[in-house]
This record gives sequence, structure tokens and C-alpha cells, in this order.
Amino acid sequence: MEPQLELLPPEILEAQSAFAERLSACADLDALLRMKGAYVGREGSHAARLMELLKTAPKEQKRDLGAAINALKNAWEEALKTRQAELEATKKAIPAEDATLPPPRPPEGALHPLQRLMDRLVEAFRPLGYHVEEGPEVETEEHNFDGLNIPADHPARGSSDTFYFSARPDLLLRTHTSPVQVRVLKRYGTKNAAGVSLLEEKGGLRFLAPGRVYRKDEIDPTHSPMFHQVEGMLVAKGIGMQHLKGTLAYAMKALFGPGADVRFRPSYFPFVEPGCEMDVRCPLCGGSGCRVCKGSGWVEILGAGLIHPKVLEHAGIDPTVWSGFAFGMGVERTAMMVSQSPDLRLFFENDQRFLAQMGGLD
Amino acid sequence: MQIILSQLQRELPTAGLTQAQALERLPMLGFPIDGVATVEGETVLDVDVTANRPDVMSHRGLARDLAATLGAELAALPTTTLGGAPQREIRLETPACPTYSTAVLTLGATQATPADVQTFLRALGMTPKGLAAVDASNELLHRYGHPTHAFDADKLQGAIRVRFAQAGETLVTLDGVDRKLTPEDLIIADDSGPIAFAGVMGGESTKVTETTRTVLLESAWFDPKVVRPMARRHNLHTDGSHRFGRGADPVMAAVVRDLLAQRLIEWAGATVLSAWTVGAVPARAAAITLPLTQLNRIAGETVDAAEAETLLARLGCEVSRSATTVTAVPPTWRHDLTLPEDLAEEVLRLRGYDRIGSSLPAVDADPEPLSPSYRTAASLSRRLAHLGFFQTVTYGFIGPDEDAAFAAAGNPAEGRALGNPLGLEYSVMRASLLPSLKATALHNRRQGQKEVRLFEIAPAYPAGLEGKPSVALVWGGLRGGEDHLTASRAVLAADLRGVAQSLGFGSAPIQDLGDGLLGVEVALDTLAAPPERIIPRFQGFSRFPAVERDLSLVVDLGKPFGDLAAAMGGVLPQPELQHLGVVDVYRGKGMAPGKQALLVRFRFQHASRTLTSEEVEGWVQSALKAAEGVGATLRA
Ligand SMILES: [Zn+2]
Repeated sequence: MEPQLELLPPEILEAQSAFAERLSACADLDALLRMKGAYVGREGSHAARLMELLKTAPKEQKRDLGAAINALKNAWEEALKTRQAELEATKKAIPAEDATLPPPRPPEGALHPLQRLMDRLVEAFRPLGYHVEEGPEVETEEHNFDGLNIPADHPARGSSDTFYFSARPDLLLRTHTSPVQVRVLKRYGTKNAAGVSLLEEKGGLRFLAPGRVYRKDEIDPTHSPMFHQVEGMLVAKGIGMQHLKGTLAYAMKALFGPGADVRFRPSYFPFVEPGCEMDVRCPLCGGSGCRVCKGSGWVEILGAGLIHPKVLEHAGIDPTVWSGFAFGMGVERTAMMVSQSPDLRLFFENDQRFLAQMGGLD
Repeated sequence: MQIILSQLQRELPTAGLTQAQALERLPMLGFPIDGVATVEGETVLDVDVTANRPDVMSHRGLARDLAATLGAELAALPTTTLGGAPQREIRLETPACPTYSTAVLTLGATQATPADVQTFLRALGMTPKGLAAVDASNELLHRYGHPTHAFDADKLQGAIRVRFAQAGETLVTLDGVDRKLTPEDLIIADDSGPIAFAGVMGGESTKVTETTRTVLLESAWFDPKVVRPMARRHNLHTDGSHRFGRGADPVMAAVVRDLLAQRLIEWAGATVLSAWTVGAVPARAAAITLPLTQLNRIAGETVDAAEAETLLARLGCEVSRSATTVTAVPPTWRHDLTLPEDLAEEVLRLRGYDRIGSSLPAVDADPEPLSPSYRTAASLSRRLAHLGFFQTVTYGFIGPDEDAAFAAAGNPAEGRALGNPLGLEYSVMRASLLPSLKATALHNRRQGQKEVRLFEIAPAYPAGLEGKPSVALVWGGLRGGEDHLTASRAVLAADLRGVAQSLGFGSAPIQDLGDGLLGVEVALDTLAAPPERIIPRFQGFSRFPAVERDLSLVVDLGKPFGDLAAAMGGVLPQPELQHLGVVDVYRGKGMAPGKQALLVRFRFQHASRTLTSEEVEGWVQSALKAAEGVGATLRA
């Protein structure tokens, strides 16, 4: 039965006459869904208006009008459905075109391997309550040497080991991250107006200080005038060597995996007493002895010890009340060992191929 | 330090020390082995000794520490007691030399260094000289750790004085170098002037040769505080300066003088005319008292006080013990023991650090947050890496020429220059990170990279020596062209500007670095730190439909879009105007000369209702009028 269109109001007829053209103009599914809403949607659509019209129509017209409305609505729905299927097919057709064609890929960058190693250390120590402290590269002798119990005639202070500034001979490029210890200890040791220090107020101090340091070494496959260290320190009451061992063993497992095996040997640094060095089981030979570990099966990875009482005293902290440990790790040394990179200079050359291979992303 | 295994074993006659035990024990005592070699048929260990332990810088010294940890006996020291009246006046004019043992001997007709001593010296990398006085002195230094010197007594004039040099004095040392002396130099002098650097090196004018008939021996003790800077000042790093410069054992002065004389008797048929000592051995160091509570805290367990006493005594300390303390007077060879902590370390060291327990400390302190600057750098570096940039690490110092191109006028390189750089190209703390990144970018281009995307986060020095943590990006070359959908094109300033703006760099200028490289740099403290909240506070957003309208405007070439945007934005309602941008710029065919067309896109949205087409149309018309007010026309 042909629908009796003359029964319909003019705006509906207009909508009907534009229907075909508008349908083909729908270039994508979004446009089609908008058009569907306008024609057959539950509220405010042309179809909804027609249903309102039917309710109020004179009784004798209702049958024919109903038939006309139904026919129109069905025709619209049918056509919309067909067009929707068409558009969906187009969308699906693209990957079917040739899935082996290389697609556009977002660019891939990388963090520097030294950064990643430092980040991993921070990550390893965060669960133990350590935060991160920073300090400047340009330092004073007080922070770099005096406050660390390094005697005035120590060879490391000489201009053949340490870079000094010509216009400011009182300033130098820090030779280790340990001056951050002096800065932080002084901050925590200073008493406020009430006579209470930050250390007393907080009950302890734990931090890492990763950073760049400088020593006057010629550039060669194993030396660089600039390198990185990660300093760590803990101050509390009743701290002994067992705490240093426990903390570092835990961190090395976080860094190198649960199988990480470490050993502690006596050593000497002016700012700790007792002092030690920590070795990890040689990653290259697994302990049987090779070139990297000089046959010993162990590779030195950091220096550490209990904080020297003079370092605490210099910062105004009473060493008979407070004790703690400190450690310092050479980042490049560890990165070289772990990656088995043949040449330290690779880390400062910054060849994108090296960075892509070594750096990666977290 | 080179140590011959068999000679180390000789000092420990009853220990039965094997090579494997030595290799295992020495590192655990604090003396790592850097290598093992076979020289002259001898096993030679390269032992690493820290600067605080000059007392182990000899075969006997190292054996003494091993004996203490093993509980073994040291070989008895050969004793010869010589005496006699002073043959020549010796004046100690400074406390820097408190004791001076000497002897005068006439040599026999022939002299020969024994074969086993020649092997000893060769195994340690030295060449025997065939002069008994020289070879014996070298042997004794490496065997017992005490440096000695022999003068040709016939070349000496008048009294021997140990004094500081006077300005203007010179000394030709045994290496043939004519050295200018300073008043800080401790010397041996006779009537002719300086004849030796005390404890460092002898002089050419009085040296022992094949024709020497009479020798005067010197076995003294010199203050390390004087010897060490002197050796550094003259760049004379000798076996003698290493030992006196760190602290030798004053008691060994007379002992080794006797041993040296004894060797000359045996090797050169010498006759001792007299042997005597001037001055006295310095007083022993003060007693150190270690409370047992402190020892136990450091050890992490209750240490048996009797064991601590025994271990310290084995080191040569005079030890006494109370119920709560251990008190020790250090031996004359241990200048490094001054604090209770030092004694505690010795006890733990001899027991073995492997016996110390391992536990995490319980610290009753709240964890502190990471600082904003750390979080800024951490999140920025991750974002940049995900955006395709490679993080670089470059030296903080560069050459003055590279620096000058990026330094502000008021920031001269002289204020940032090192006094002792490795070279001119590493002499100035960089005002900007960009020259380093540019050099790195050019390196990568030379290596065949079509596109370079680099960043660095490090301190820059834009105003003197105040380091300012900064981030710099360099981008250049050709982007795209690696797949069938993305065309290859040169990297443009707009590309880097888009990255910079998305990272919140504000109005930091995009700099043309030349060679197709673009750069941008900002100080980290100008960037907003990532929020400390894990999830930020909720802010409402409109759920009503947004309406987009495009307007094609013709403007003069060179007319900045910013002017148009300011004019149009000024007449449009806020916050309904959500976005005002340009989606196309058309220049060329069909345009009047000197003109360009901009396709401007507006997006409007209301917070609480659907916009009507009439009001949106009205806004677009008012925007058009505002644009016309700054010279734009609607494109036909
Ligand atoms: Zn190995």
C-alpha cells in the first residue's frame, strides 16, 4: 500500500525530501548517528513528532495517517540501517587492506642509562623511607672537604685532582656527592628558637643524593672528568654496621634481583669510621673469576661506613646521641659493569643508537 | 704495592699461609688484590693499600696485619746493636725531624749484592745497582717499610743539619733535576748547602758511586705533614715520600740503620767506624678508651671484651680493660688510631666484616616527600622520552667560543672559568645547555641520523656560578617519511614550539641553532611541579554539545594571527569560547598578491545548556567584525 503522504504536515514532507541527500552526505558514523537521532530518535525527532500528531488526529483519519507514518518511519529506519552497515564496512576495510604494511609509529625516545640507574636506586630506597636531596655542582671547600673530615693537606684538595675557579678560588667543582651530606646534616642539626633541631623533631634522617661530580682525570676509556654518584645517608639512634649491611643488601636485591650476592670489606674514607667497601658477585663470570673482576669473582660497587663523629660534630649533631651510616656509589662504574660497555666515553658521546639500545623507557 | 708471596710467607714462618689464603684474607683485611703476576719466578701480588695505612707498605707490615688476624707469629727481627761516638756533628734544627740514626762505615775493596736480594728487587720491578748501600736501602724499604739514605761521607763538608730551606737555595736531586727550594722544604744540608730532600730524595753532589769509600747512613723520622706537601710541590713521588709522607714508624729508624750497616758489612766488607742516634723517638700516642657499649652498638652485637682486648694487643697496642671499657695505646707504627671508633673498626676488621650481622634499621621518622624540583625533572624526562626525545648527559664545562654564542652580555665567561681546566674546550661552566646539545646533535647527524631529538636536564650557569637546573631540547633534520601515510618533511620551529607549549615552557623562544637544528631551553624552577596529589581535585565540565564554526579570513601576509586572535577573542563570550585556532593557512594560487587566507576555527560550549544556532551565528559575526577591524576580510 502506497503511503498517503498528503496527510502529513509540510515540515515533515520537507524532511522527507531532504532525507536521501542528507543520508548520502553522512561521511562517518558520527554524522549518521546524529541524523538517526534527528529522524527516528525517541524524543524530539521527526518520528516522535508524527506520533504526537497521530494521538491528536480526528478518529476517521487515524487509520490512514497511522499507516502513512509507519511506512515513512520504516523507510527511514531501513535506509539508515543500510547506510550504517556501509559505513561500518568501510571502517573495517582499512586494516584488511594490507596489515603487513609498516604503519605510522609514534617516535621512540629514551632516558639516559645513567639516569635510569639512578632512578632505579631511588626506587629501591623509597620503600625504606628515603627521600632525595640535591646540591650544587659548584661547592665550597667547607662542604666538599672540611665538613667531611678531609685534612687540609689531603692530596685530593690539590689542583691536580680538583677543579677550582679562577675568579673565585674559594669555589670548586664538587669531587663527590658527599657535600650534600654536609649541607643536609647542617640543616638537620641546626637548633630552632626552641632549641630543638630538625633531627630531634623528626627523629631521624634518610636520604639519597644522586648527582654529577667532577675530578681532574683525563678522558680515556675508563676515566672521565665528570661522572655521577649516588650518595645515601641514614641518621638515627643506635645505628651500627649491621644496619648498613642490611640496608645495602636489601637495596642490591632491589637493583640486581633477589639473587644479588654482596660482601663487605674494610676500607678507608675520611668521613666514615668504620669504613668499608661493598662488592657484588661478578655479573660477568658469576664468581668463577674473569678479566672484569681481576680473577677475584667480586666487583667493587660502593664505599660506605658509619658516619665519622667529626662529620656529625661539624654539623652540630652530638655523635654520642646520634649515629648513622653513609654510602656512595659510582654510577658509571656500575653501568659499565652491568652493561659490559667497553668504553666509558660512550655514556657522554650520546649517540642515539647507544641511547636507544641502553636507555629504553620505564 | 708489589708484594712477593714467598717473602710475605717468610715473615709468617708458622702460619702456613697459602696463595689462596693470602688472596682471600688480604681483601677481607682491607687490602684488595689488583692482580697476581709471576716475575723472576716469584708470585707477585699487586696489593691495594689505602692512604691511612703506611704501616702495611712493606712485606713485614702486611705480614703483621695478617699475623694479627690469624693469631700467628711474626718472624723475629734480626738484631745487631751498633754503637760508638759521633763522628760528625748532626744538628736537628726543627721538630719535623725528632730522631736521626746514623752510622759511618768504610767499604771494603769489593762489593756484591747477593743473588736472592737481586731477585727480590727485580721481582718488585727495580734494577739492582750493584752498589751495596743503594740495593740494601731499597731492599730494607720494601722488606721493613723504613726508608734510609746513604751519603758519600768524603763528599760531605762540615756538620749535617736537618732544617728548612731558605728562599733562593737550590738542590740538584738524584734524578738530575735542579730544583728551587722554598722555606717549606725540609732538607738535609752541610756547609755546602742543601744535599738532600728529607725523606724524599737524595742529592747529586753527595751520592754514593762505585768509587765511594766511606758512607754516612741516614735512618731518620720526618713529619708527614711536612714531607707530603713537599713531595707534591716538587712532583717527587718516591717510595720514601710515600712512607714518610703518610707516617713511618720512628722506632724503626735505629733498627733499620743497624740492618743497613749489617748488610754493608756482609755485602761490601764494610767496617763500622761508629753508629749513633741524635734526638729521640717522639712520645707514644695517647691512650684511647673505647666504651664497650659503643663497640657493641657499632658491631650490632655484644662483642666478647676479652676477644677485643686480644685482637688489639695482637696489633701491637698496649691494652687494658675495665668492666665497661677497653683502653689501648696504639703502637708507634699506627698513626691512624686516634678515636674510640678507630679501635672498634680494628676489632671488627680483625674478626672479619663477614661476622657482622645484617638487618634493616627501625627508624621512627615519617618518610619525607620527594622535592618539587626532583619530581619536575623526573616527570619531564619521562614525558620527553615518550615524546621521542633522547636524554643526553654532557660535561658541564665547554669551550669559551661555544659558550659565548649562548651567554648573556652580563655573564662573561671569565666569571665561570676554571683555573685549572683539562683544556680550553673544557674550561667554562656553560651559560646554556644548548651548545652541548648542538654539538651532540651534529655528532648524530654525522653518524647518519636523519632526525635528531635530544634533551638534557642539568645545571646551566646563566648568571655567574649560580647553577640553575635547566632543561634544553634540540630537534632537527627530517621527520616522517618512514611509512606510506606520513610524508617526510623538515622539522620546523612550530614542531618544537608545540612540544615546548605542551610541556608548559610558556613563551620560551625557539632558537635557530643553524645546521637545521632548533632548540629551546628553560629553567626547571619556571615549570609547574607535577601535583603532589596522586589524583587532582575534581573540576566540573560541560556535558552539553559543543558547536564548531569555521571562518575563512583573508589577511595581509606577515599579519600575525595573534593580532586577529586577540581582537576576536576580545569580543567573544567567556567561558563559552572554548577554543580559537587556525586549521589551515593558504598562500598562493587564487590569492591576491600579498594576501593569505586563514581558516579560523571556533569552538563554543555552554556550561549548563545547549547553544542555539542563532546565538552562535551572532558570535561568529561579531568575531568577523572584530577581525575586519584589524584588517581582515571574509574570503569570498
Ligand atoms: Zn668475573
